[in-house]
Amino acid sequence: MKYLRGMLVVLLLWYIAAFLIASPVIPFPHTVLMYAIGQFFPQEMHLHLLYSLYRILSGLFIALFFAIPTGMIAGRVPALDRLISPVLYLLYPLPKIAFLPVFMVLLGIGDLSKIILIAVIIYFPASVTIRDGVKEIPFEFLQLAEAYHLSRKQVLKDIIWPAILPRIFSSLRITLGISLSVLFISETYAASHGLGYSIMNYWVMAQYTGMYAAIMLLSLLGLLLYIVVDWAERLCVFPKVK
Amino acid sequence: MILSLTDAKLDYPKTTAFEHFSLTVASGEMVSIIGPSGCGKTSLLYTIAGLLPLSGGTMRRAVGNDEVALMFQQDRLLPWKQVISNVLLGLPGEKTEEAADLLQSMGLGSVIHHYPHELSGGMRQRAALARALIRKPNILLLDEPLASLDEQQREMLQNDIKEYVQDHSITLLLVTHSIQEAVFMGSRIVMMTNKGVSYELHNQLHGEASLRTRDEFFTMQKTLRHHMEASR
Repeated sequence: MKYLRGMLVVLLLWYIAAFLIASPVIPFPHTVLMYAIGQFFPQEMHLHLLYSLYRILSGLFIALFFAIPTGMIAGRVPALDRLISPVLYLLYPLPKIAFLPVFMVLLGIGDLSKIILIAVIIYFPASVTIRDGVKEIPFEFLQLAEAYHLSRKQVLKDIIWPAILPRIFSSLRITLGISLSVLFISETYAASHGLGYSIMNYWVMAQYTGMYAAIMLLSLLGLLLYIVVDWAERLCVFPKVK
Repeated sequence: MILSLTDAKLDYPKTTAFEHFSLTVASGEMVSIIGPSGCGKTSLLYTIAGLLPLSGGTMRRAVGNDEVALMFQQDRLLPWKQVISNVLLGLPGEKTEEAADLLQSMGLGSVIHHYPHELSGGMRQRAALARALIRKPNILLLDEPLASLDEQQREMLQNDIKEYVQDHSITLLLVTHSIQEAVFMGSRIVMMTNKGVSYELHNQLHGEASLRTRDEFFTMQKTLRHHMEASR
């Protein structure tokens, strides 16, 4: 319901802009929607959507695969954190998108370079958020684990993991927006599929309705991913912990 | 003798928690430890539990670390685990039935699948107690376990703990601020300051069911209160 309300507000603003500007540069939402539905299969929009989804999910999973252990180690082992955190802080603000050509040379112009770019961009904020989550685990719980002779594995499973799960989800929410923007830019280079490619392709051909249809799909892809993250969080994280 | 501390000392980086502390506890004894705030009572329990190493003196314990269970002042129930999983923390799954039976006997049978925030303060303390008892400790260390409860709940839980500890021949060390609780629970009441034991009282009526209503119950409290004032 809250998503529907949000969509209605965006549509209303879009209608107002289209009405006031009255130019083909901003077509009316219903025209765009009809185009997206009508051309979804003929113009291979479903393929563009699936390619983008594949790239963003792969990037997210690779980023988390490395960010979770990095954050856990930095949060648990102060000696290593003194090395890890400065490295994270040094590399975090670099404009990673500028390294896309480097990734393309090293990893090829296919999917891998795009996926790794997304992964690298998500990795830094996710690592820092998870590290902070681990550091904020109440000392009382860790002392309890010591008093009750929990093994390292049990501490990880019963205390650290459930305590940082909410942090993992919030880092996902924070980085999803960034990763969608990066996805768009990465797909404008050396791509034959993907919503970013599709948007630029329509733009070059001055087909604004098609361009907006692809933009709308990118936005819906973002919304879908946010809904999935919220749903997964409700499933995995105990409400009181959030 | 199940536990013995001789001239024990515990230093923190900037302060000394306690020093010159000596105590010998026989198996099955129930010892209440009272003393002014900051005299190192909690630190003493943590030392006995093996959480803090002594800075000086010696501690001899006839049982291993896994036969000592500490119940903290706050219940420290993990908010993401149901009551039964909190009780089973770190234990193998085969203990599930035993844990359910224990919770049932402690009046928590209907809430074993509830989360801690769904329980009352008294229920939470009972769950935390069950988590300590399921480990079948030889030495049970209780750090002001009932401080957060109202009087009625406190007395009920005092009765239950005392009965359980006596029935299972567990050695109990109870730290408390309440002189009344110390006298009811302890077969021996040890008063400590951070310079060691300042006074000891043997409670001859410890096993009496009518202890709470006996004149001696109040006399012992008065004596302890008097010594507490004198040691300040």
